[in-house]
Amino acid sequence: MTVTYRVGVDIGGTFTDIVLLGSDGTIHTKKISSSVGNYAQAIVDGLSEVFRETGLDGGAIEEIRHGTTVASNAILEHKGARVGLITTKGFRDVLEIRTLRMPKLYDLAWTKPEPLVERYLRRVVDERVDHAGHVDRALDPADAERAVDALLAEKVEAIAICLLNSFANPAHELMLRDIVARKAPHLPLSVSCEVLPEIKEYERTSTTVINAYVMPIVATYLHALRRGLDGAGIPARLLLMQSNGGLTTDTAAAERPMNIIESGPAGGVVGAQALARAKKLEKIITFDMGGTTAKASMVEDGEVARAQEYAVGAGIMIGSRLLTGAGYTLKVPAIDLAEVGAGGGSHVWIDPGGALQAGPESAGAFPGPVCYDKGGEAPTITDANVLLGYINPGHLVGGAVKLNADKARAVFEEKIAKPLGMTVERAAYGAHLIAASNMIRAIKAVSTERGRDPREFSLFAFGGNGPLFAAGMAAALGIARVIVPPSAGLFSSFGLLYADVEHHYARTFRRLLRQADLGEIDRAWTAMAGQANGQLAEEGFTGTSARLKRSAALHYKGQSYELTVPVPDGPIDARMVTHLEEAFGQEHERTYGHRAGPDEPVELVAIQLVGSGLREGSGVPQNVRPSRVEATGEASRRAWFGDKHGWMETPVVSRADLAEAKTGPLIIDEYDTTCVVPPGARAERDSAGNIVITL
Amino acid sequence: MPVSDPIALELFKNAIFSIADEMALTVFRTTYSGVLKDNMDYSTGFADANGKLAAQGLTLPGHLGSVPTAMESIMRHFDGDMAEGDVFIMNDPFDGGMHLPDIFVIKPLFHEGERLAFACTVCHHIDVGGRVAGSNASDSTEIYAEGLRIAPMKLYDKGVLNKTIMTFIEKNVRLPVQLFGDLRAQLAACHIGEKQFAELVARHGPEETKFYLNEVIDYAERLTRAAIQELPDGQWSFEDWIDDDGVDYGKPIRLFVTITKKGGHMVVDWTGTNPQVKGAINNTLSFTKAASYTGIRSVLPPGIPNNEGVFRAIEVICPPGTVGNGVLPAACAARGLTGFRMTDCMFGALAMMLPDRVKAAGDGGNTGISIGGYDSARKPFVYVDFTCGAWGARPFADGLDGNSHMFANMASHSIEVTEAEQPIQLLAYEFVADKAGAGKYRGGVPFLRDYKFLETEGMLQVRSDRRDHRPFGLYGGSPGGPSENYLNPDGENRLLPSKLTMTVKGGDIFRHVLAGAGGWGDPLERDPAAVLRDVRNELLSPAKALADYGVVINTSSWTVDIAATELRRAEIAKARGWTEPPKVQWHDPVPLARAAE
Repeated sequence: MTVTYRVGVDIGGTFTDIVLLGSDGTIHTKKISSSVGNYAQAIVDGLSEVFRETGLDGGAIEEIRHGTTVASNAILEHKGARVGLITTKGFRDVLEIRTLRMPKLYDLAWTKPEPLVERYLRRVVDERVDHAGHVDRALDPADAERAVDALLAEKVEAIAICLLNSFANPAHELMLRDIVARKAPHLPLSVSCEVLPEIKEYERTSTTVINAYVMPIVATYLHALRRGLDGAGIPARLLLMQSNGGLTTDTAAAERPMNIIESGPAGGVVGAQALARAKKLEKIITFDMGGTTAKASMVEDGEVARAQEYAVGAGIMIGSRLLTGAGYTLKVPAIDLAEVGAGGGSHVWIDPGGALQAGPESAGAFPGPVCYDKGGEAPTITDANVLLGYINPGHLVGGAVKLNADKARAVFEEKIAKPLGMTVERAAYGAHLIAASNMIRAIKAVSTERGRDPREFSLFAFGGNGPLFAAGMAAALGIARVIVPPSAGLFSSFGLLYADVEHHYARTFRRLLRQADLGEIDRAWTAMAGQANGQLAEEGFTGTSARLKRSAALHYKGQSYELTVPVPDGPIDARMVTHLEEAFGQEHERTYGHRAGPDEPVELVAIQLVGSGLREGSGVPQNVRPSRVEATGEASRRAWFGDKHGWMETPVVSRADLAEAKTGPLIIDEYDTTCVVPPGARAERDSAGNIVITL
Repeated sequence: MPVSDPIALELFKNAIFSIADEMALTVFRTTYSGVLKDNMDYSTGFADANGKLAAQGLTLPGHLGSVPTAMESIMRHFDGDMAEGDVFIMNDPFDGGMHLPDIFVIKPLFHEGERLAFACTVCHHIDVGGRVAGSNASDSTEIYAEGLRIAPMKLYDKGVLNKTIMTFIEKNVRLPVQLFGDLRAQLAACHIGEKQFAELVARHGPEETKFYLNEVIDYAERLTRAAIQELPDGQWSFEDWIDDDGVDYGKPIRLFVTITKKGGHMVVDWTGTNPQVKGAINNTLSFTKAASYTGIRSVLPPGIPNNEGVFRAIEVICPPGTVGNGVLPAACAARGLTGFRMTDCMFGALAMMLPDRVKAAGDGGNTGISIGGYDSARKPFVYVDFTCGAWGARPFADGLDGNSHMFANMASHSIEVTEAEQPIQLLAYEFVADKAGAGKYRGGVPFLRDYKFLETEGMLQVRSDRRDHRPFGLYGGSPGGPSENYLNPDGENRLLPSKLTMTVKGGDIFRHVLAGAGGWGDPLERDPAAVLRDVRNELLSPAKALADYGVVINTSSWTVDIAATELRRAEIAKARGWTEPPKVQWHDPVPLARAAE
């Protein structure tokens, strides 16, 4: 039987990672420099190189799955399209006024993010629809034409349309849409009633504008990539990772680029979800730690936790997600990630109050930690890990990078240990623990803050530094099991291989459940299902390979925050209402610790639907066989595990050595990461190649 | 006795603040009312066994002084009479509270019978009864008109709910379902705090927990003193005026502050501030403290934990019987205004101390608008909106346009949600041109909001200011334009006072225009390209660009005529004859009677 390959491509700022997974479990990896300005070229070149090295050809490629930062970079660097916005008279500044909030208290120097459409490119039309969809003031077609003409005269590169209450009645937006389509048929166009038919004018306007802002750049990129692949003889279809963790086609991504903005970090989480499913683990917390930030997310009952909205480019909010107002609001479902500014490069310092601190400032790639010996003078977390013996100074990236441990030690001694009046080991161990406690806040953000007890979860650790910290953090949180997947340092591109095609739909539908016209709700969901099935069929998913899941956003009347509960198959009738009210009450109790009495009216706020295109089987091969062979540099080294254990001679083993369970302390040195197993914990390799640490 | 360890301290601090934040998040998510949800008008925290604030969750700066005062009252009444399962409730401004809508819910936390800490929450409730819906009328003249006054009491006694208290509340407020919903949110937050605190104690043991609760306070004090040490020593005063109290119309109210800084200590003295007034804008001392801390925190580095330690380094004085420290029977429901304005007054004094760091006056802090009444089925409705948005110009940047005041980092309500839930339609929410104070850096641009009332009849309450006494400019910057209130702007366009209570009928439209913020620095030094950008964006008229900035703009090519601009600027400079830019610029007060002409 011919071996076919799925390809995962993850573009980072410096490197493009390419992973090929064969139907027989064979893995080929390729790491090449990203070609800035023409990312598509790097992908085509990288694949061509793999073909040369392996003798494969384009015909063997079944599918290419791609995570890209093209759209988010365009927003962060303000390099998107010159967009014109048409909105309701009297509401020209909704986009710029935002929600009034700022993310930093007491900051006299706060700068609001520049609006993506400057005021003179925001035009108003004289119209008004009320909240129930009734037209108070009809839109005069001549007025609509004038607004469109004015923007075309300004040579805008895309148009966004968002009128007040259009979720309740889109007629005026559709009139404007048709005028734009007639006058400028090829101009990228983003209309709020089509991209986000939901209540809340700021969120809808912002989302509609972001979509327009990145449309041209994403379309150009995807077009170039397709052309490049065709030119290299790779006819395989191209799927894009979306922020929600599902895949979409390149055509759909070009139409709704707002869905692929947080494409980057999604791969690792989806990969963890797939491996957890294969292991029949229902509850995991993913923990991805690199050089500058650490991210956590939660998978429960096999489902990734999603946020209904987030802010692009908000930066990292230490400790609290209460402080909103940064970045650009996008109301699109996304994997709910909590991020903190803690990584290997985080600075270690003593504040004026005499407490030891780790981060959020980072040494970055240059000058990097002291031990890199590239001029870095400020001690970092990586320096602490070297001092503690966790990182092998001679073995980073397979020995390609040599570290100066003596220098790290001298700097740590002088700048941290001496002023604190303690030994250098204790200071370094303290820095390690403080970094861990900062990251624990990210884990709590996705678990305890939602009423979940982390002790019921397994911790799934990846990224260059994740496996180094995971076991210690798990112990502090009372988590009993840590899982480190194969190629943990490259796991973001790996994860792409395990994702399914997914499309999300939502619509505001405010009705008190007990007074609602249930037939109307039923019809609305049926129409949504038709839309999803149509889209999936176009992509080749029909019958049992097309799966629809309904959910409802509900709250007690008067509350302004919703909880989402799954809606089982079946007609929307009185029995379903009873079921939904009870399911909502239970979820409220679980999340907040209390629920209202049975007479408290429950309001439906939005109806939602996810359409998935499923492949046969889990997609996770039985036997993953990486082509790289790990060489251990040494049999053991000294590592410090706190006052209780002191220095211990710690065996250094490879993943293969863990076919039989071993008891810590242990260190597993790998090409792309280091895994630390503390004293007393047990580690073994499972059939899928994961390291499983039991505490 | 445990010995302080810098690593253990940091780990403990992280843990306790993370619990306080999680309590805040619990309130945020479970609350019913938009005031809590969008305005984030609530706070959470932990106090140690003696009631000293150890950790305040990240919420409202205006609550920075509130928990210590509330805790003092709880200790005064109940020290020696507390048991596991007790929960205290209180809102009395004259016994630990701030104003009646702010209800405190406080739970003592025990370990094996020993009290170790308190979980504290305070939330602004949408209505606590009284003569005007929303319980925040600015024209009440005594506390007795403002709503239900709850002395410190046990809501739960050893775990048993006191139903009498609940019944009293239920019968005296307009929207009991909402109030109880929000009270449940506070109880849920205390519950979460208690649970997680127990885990913390299990990890550290009771002795170490007590020790580090105290250490976290000492640590904040060390950080605060070290930061204050960096500021120049000396004494600076500043004066500002509130237009009036909404009762004695046209009678301005003086705010006066003197900051004395020596070494690692600061004294903020409000002696010289107006005696308390009839209208409901009298602060409690705790609120005046919050305004003082907010000003000072803005010139200290970030990262100092909010607790008792900060307050030890900053002494706040305000004589009883003044508008900054009201005594019985002072009305205080609408005292938010005085808090905002005291913060601005602090900025003024700090700008004299640190000319290159502090901003000019903003729009004055939030305008409170409430519309309440009964629908045809005699069901009550209460709509409460607080809004503000124009920051004073900074010595390094323009004032922010459409950004909450620092004292209350509030979010706006969604217009569409408001329209779906209230008998209100918003007809406009948009920036207003030519009101921002000119300067090298201009003041923030204000916006207007038009509210159309859709029920048959209702009571409109407005608390605004900065119409007579406009936002000041600094170091050559001009003052901003005044706030304005109108009834039916497209019809009779009646000019209304800045504070009012009136009956509105179906179809009436109320317009509020915020004041423009003050500018910073000489307007003639403003980059002409920045002036051009404002003109192009219709935030500044070409005529004002010429008059205030001396910038000549060609509006067909969107370019600056550089030669003509230089000439014009030279003329303006000569005519005004400055030897140096005035430190503070005011606009002469314009009383309503004259403004109407």
